[in-house]
Amino acid sequence: MISRVQLAACLVLFVSSTSVHAQKQQVIGAPPEASNMKLVGNSDLQARSAYQPTIHHQGDRWIAYIGHHGGTDDVPAPLNPMTGQAEPNGTSIVDVTDPAHPKYLRHLPGQEGKYESGGAQMVRVCDGKSLPKGDPNAVYMLRTFGSEAHEIWNVADPANPVLVTRIAGLKDTHKNWWECDTGTAYLVSGAPDWRTRRMTQVYDLSDPAHPQKIRDFGLPGQEPGATGAVPTELHGPISTGPAGNRVFFGYGTNKGGILQIVDREKLLNGPKEPTPDNLRYPEISRLPMSAFNGAHTTFPMLDMPVAEFAEDRDGKTRDIVMIVDEAILNECGEARQMVWFADVTTEARPMMISSYTVPEASGQFCQRGGRFGSHSSNESMAPVYYKKMAFIAFFNAGVRALDIRDPYHPKEVGYFIPSITSATDKRCIPIEGGERCKVAIQTNNVETDDRGYIYIVDRANTGMHVLELTGPARAVAGLPKN
Amino acid sequence: MRRVATIALALIALGASGVGAYQLAPSPTDRPAHWREIAWPFPRDGWPAGRAFRCVGACEGAELYVRAKLGFCNCDRGVADDDEVDRVTDLDLISPRFAATAPGEKVGVGEMHGRARQYDLDMADGTRRVAIGIALSRRCDLLVAVAQGAREAMAVRSVALEFLETQEMKSWMTAALDGR
Repeated sequence: MISRVQLAACLVLFVSSTSVHAQKQQVIGAPPEASNMKLVGNSDLQARSAYQPTIHHQGDRWIAYIGHHGGTDDVPAPLNPMTGQAEPNGTSIVDVTDPAHPKYLRHLPGQEGKYESGGAQMVRVCDGKSLPKGDPNAVYMLRTFGSEAHEIWNVADPANPVLVTRIAGLKDTHKNWWECDTGTAYLVSGAPDWRTRRMTQVYDLSDPAHPQKIRDFGLPGQEPGATGAVPTELHGPISTGPAGNRVFFGYGTNKGGILQIVDREKLLNGPKEPTPDNLRYPEISRLPMSAFNGAHTTFPMLDMPVAEFAEDRDGKTRDIVMIVDEAILNECGEARQMVWFADVTTEARPMMISSYTVPEASGQFCQRGGRFGSHSSNESMAPVYYKKMAFIAFFNAGVRALDIRDPYHPKEVGYFIPSITSATDKRCIPIEGGERCKVAIQTNNVETDDRGYIYIVDRANTGMHVLELTGPARAVAGLPKN
Repeated sequence: MRRVATIALALIALGASGVGAYQLAPSPTDRPAHWREIAWPFPRDGWPAGRAFRCVGACEGAELYVRAKLGFCNCDRGVADDDEVDRVTDLDLISPRFAATAPGEKVGVGEMHGRARQYDLDMADGTRRVAIGIALSRRCDLLVAVAQGAREAMAVRSVALEFLETQEMKSWMTAALDGR
């Protein structure tokens, strides 16, 4: 028989454990959670689910271009208060010259559709004067149009974009890369005859008004007419341009990831017919990851000095690729998706050297609702943070600032988890006989600008937050005290 | 002499009755199909193991592998085309060398819809098997099944789909897609 004392102890334990969980659920009105990072300003982005921000310095202004997913079941086309119209999610254009007071300039609608099936998720921006054959007065925004096309707009007047060209007829699109100095673009596409949803179409966009196809590219087995197992689909490439002569391709989302290192010159000028031999020709090596993890972002940081190796006769500097997995299931319904650092100095034998994840227990993130795990990193190579700090979007754990000066031992030095608002959308999991939903921040993507501001955007409709470093985190980047 | 003849007659009679008994016994393939659960035969990969079955009876020797792949499907489009069946089903676990032998067809199990496609598999031991890949979606999640055997592909497909339609399997598939 259970005694009264034991019963009381059980009750106390139950009450205390449920109250701990309750504290970890975000509530409207609660302050953001932060360490060595602080909020500078924010924009609600018209409560549209955001995928990715790109910050561009044009003239004397700083403009943020934010790609959106499609709408939700509840709100397929949110209201644009500037036009009074319900518009399918597309691209938000926001003036962040004064980061404390972002000014929403324009919403450019995207493809109708919900979640991954609509919107205009991805944005890259190049100045016409930097492109070899661009209009020097133009600023070009390359964006995806849902799953069916890539578009280029002239955003020299960011409040009034003008469509320049369109590459259509695709079955999917995603995380493109565009070299602004050459115009070479690595478009993540779904060519209709390929066996995978996402592969690479390499284009010469040096004259954005007249796109020239260079070739299709992917892993052998993905090409038209192949048989047998289909390798993991592409997520996105990052090129080091003619100077570095390497393109780092990331395949996979949350499973079976591959880092592929490719010789850029061979890719662009080698044989182009998509045969297995021709697809293998520009490949230098691959780093297959665990079946548990995918490669959303493959961010190169070549020739990094590593203080620990400074006295060594060889290997003082290392070529590092930061690989970021993408979590996709709510409430920890999969293996942990996190951040990996690969030493690719000896290119034929790349090796994982370290990893980073947010400790789950530090915020009971598996119980907060929504996704917990990494998604992406900043991709700006501006000197302010490059090879010193990386910022990782970690869904319900917000953004994480990492000191990566020693990539063998990355260290978290700051974080920021925005407050939820009335616009923050729920995230649900199936349970027997129905579903259970929770509301939590879902920091989806992060970018930095040359001034050192950090921009995070929310997948659950909470908008964009502009942040800056504080305290010791500023010293890591060599920024003056604030 | 008489004893020898008697023994010979007895042996002939016994042999004849044995042959008769053998001929009268139903062949395994004449019995109704029955799926017996076996251990998941593949090494750990990115997805949790599912359930595996071996057929006795009409589909003698065929095997069926079923598992959920959560979050592996376009939430709106579902299983869009045959390429997706090639890509998401577990054919590669059996053999990385497979080729579709016909366009796929739409199929449904319970409230789930998707596609099924038939393949030839070249096995490591040089033999050839037939297989049916089945991919079904529920929102953003997939339920994949592969049936393989040495017999005619459509027969394997028929008994496999029939088994997936049983209440026991539908209940299990729902639980697997719920993450339970």
